[in-house]
Amino acid sequence: MNAVAREPWREPPIGLLAELTHRCPLACPYCSNPLELAARERELSTASWLRVLDQAAELGVLQLHLSGGEPTLRTDLEAIVARARALELYSNLITAGVGVSERRLEALAEAGLDHVQLSVQDVDPEGCDRIGGFKGSLRRKIAFARAVRRLGLPLTLNAVVHRHNLDRLERFVELALELGADRLEVAHVQYYGWALANRAALMPTRAQLERSVEIVKEARERLGDQLLIDFVVPDYYATHPKPCTSGWGRAVIVVAPDGRVLPCHAAHVIPGLVFANVEEKPLRWIWQESPAFQRFRGLEWMQEPCRSCPRREIDFGGCRCQAMQLLGDPEATDPACTLSPHHARIMATAEAEASAPPPPFRYRRMEPVPA
Amino acid sequence: MSFARDDRLAIARGVRVRFDPVRNCHVLLAPERVLFPCPTSVEILGRLAEPRPFGELVAGLAAEFDAPEEEIARDVEALLSDLVAQRVVRVEGRSA
Ligand code: SF4
Ligand code: SF4
Repeated sequence: MNAVAREPWREPPIGLLAELTHRCPLACPYCSNPLELAARERELSTASWLRVLDQAAELGVLQLHLSGGEPTLRTDLEAIVARARALELYSNLITAGVGVSERRLEALAEAGLDHVQLSVQDVDPEGCDRIGGFKGSLRRKIAFARAVRRLGLPLTLNAVVHRHNLDRLERFVELALELGADRLEVAHVQYYGWALANRAALMPTRAQLERSVEIVKEARERLGDQLLIDFVVPDYYATHPKPCTSGWGRAVIVVAPDGRVLPCHAAHVIPGLVFANVEEKPLRWIWQESPAFQRFRGLEWMQEPCRSCPRREIDFGGCRCQAMQLLGDPEATDPACTLSPHHARIMATAEAEASAPPPPFRYRRMEPVPA
Repeated sequence: MSFARDDRLAIARGVRVRFDPVRNCHVLLAPERVLFPCPTSVEILGRLAEPRPFGELVAGLAAEFDAPEEEIARDVEALLSDLVAQRVVRVEGRSA
């Protein structure tokens, strides 16, 4: 089907995930960045990013997620935020909050930043340092969160949870309340890229998962409107997979630090896809017509059991990257789905990993790591 | 949910409403959320950029649409309850 010319895709994207840099002071073993990180020399210039935002707004993008790596390492972040504001894009800063001064934050707020999402690796200082591979991180994060609230910016705490910090989930809720966060995102690790390389070190047991579901339910009932809690369950333990990125090429555009444009931040694991670069092609063409974005749109590419499944337009067969990474076939039913013939085997491996003692982390680092 | 005349209402923190020329409609933007509000919601949200008592909101709308206040209050109340439940509008001093 790759060779068949297809109609350009007319629906506009909702969000643009701008991975401004892969540089980051932290080294989380579940980082969603690719194993092969882009060096600083390959990062887009300020002018290129501003052009990307102009093109994105014209294409219909409404929300801009400024991510990385650590986006605040870009000294031109204020200029990028200011352009987003001028274009009426809703800007969301996704940060680890360890090296950002209050003055810097103030400049970003003045430039028109709409929202801050702060990652907290653990509520225990030692755990936080161990997961992020950075000393004194929790203290800095808390100071950063307070500065965000002092400036009146809305704040989301993002808690990525796994076997090492799940037993402290209640304290994540307390911390969010204490810091005056508007939202708490409790996201179980999704196993792509670095996280897949660290799966045995991170995978929770089923009992841990079930407990986290209980805690979130209880906190939601108790806190009502006081704190909005978003919860992402690990799809290994789910019945059906998530509609990853709301379907391939349907809602989100990812621009990598070097200017390559992807339908999902993990899409580089799928062999044979060529990702166009914003330095060479307009964003509109990349979104509407480029082969990588067209590849898994529609339903024609699907195999059984997805092809004839009533849920095929709800979850689009799950994650293409996960199908690729676990089964070697990007068109297969996501093995997180209980209807996949491979589900039982994959689950058995994951559960065995979860109940064995955790191996050491393989930290996310810039240096090329031997495979 | 019902509102008293002096309940102060405002658009929730982090929420923005704007016109989107690409989709040719208003959009409501919030952290990790995009909604497509109806024209009446847009009108109400526009008036709640600054905190405002419920009574004043109703009086303003009644004047604009030349309708009795009781009628407006009834219609607006239902819609506002919805917006509060969706955390788009907050009632000052009230958490749930
Ligand atoms: S997940 Fe950790 S290492 Fe990766 S970008 Fe975020 S803070 Fe940095
Ligand atoms: S078979 Fe495919 S479409 Fe059906 S629920 Fe599973 S992943 Fe979704």
